[in-house]
Amino acid sequence: LVGAPACGDVMKLQVEVDENGRIVDARFKTFGCGSAIASSSLATEWVKGKTVDEALKIKNTDIAKELCLPPVKLHCSMLAEDAIKAALADYKLKQDPNKEESEKKA
Amino acid sequence: KEQYYSEQHSSLINKAYQTLLNPLSRGLYLLELNGVEPAQETDCDADSVFLMEIMEINEKLAEPKNENILEEIETLIKVKQEELTKEVTAAFERDDLQEAKKLLAKMKYFANLEDKLKNKKIPS
Repeated sequence: LVGAPACGDVMKLQVEVDENGRIVDARFKTFGCGSAIASSSLATEWVKGKTVDEALKIKNTDIAKELCLPPVKLHCSMLAEDAIKAALADYKLKQDPNKEESEKKA
Repeated sequence: KEQYYSEQHSSLINKAYQTLLNPLSRGLYLLELNGVEPAQETDCDADSVFLMEIMEINEKLAEPKNENILEEIETLIKVKQEELTKEVTAAFERDDLQEAKKLLAKMKYFANLEDKLKNKKIPS
């Protein structure tokens, strides 16, 4: 769960990671402008099927480029990148080696 | 030429008035005057309780229109905004600009909610 203080947008990204460290499912819920919603939607699509480490490599610039975000909306892609990082950091924190599957959210 | 100047000044005065009238814009302007930039960095899990609250209100607002719930939310937002305004005032008074900055960031979320609520109330 992340927020952009400059514009007051909130973004929730949930990931489901399997025992191999691969993201098997992801869901988003974003309240904000169209660019913020699009950024989180794209981020959600991109992390699916990736390993945690691969997903951490996703950059806001990639998202912005794919969506052709105007300069004034670049911070939305940054928020999406932060949402991915926060979700995965949360996963790593809560990781229990005994658990088979973990559902983590940010 | 005089008319042009008058229009310019009139416009500036209106802008100034509007800025000072609203607690959030007023607070942000005060920060600016003190050389402090408004919060730019993403709020993350450190403020998760607060963000969750904002999320919940957003979710309620996204539901089909319900007069009672809308009223509840309106009251909640108002109370929160008043609280935050008081806290921001106190922060400025003791020259705690960093705290003011944090609080103003919170106010921004509530200002957005207030706008969404207003739009929701407009008969569709």
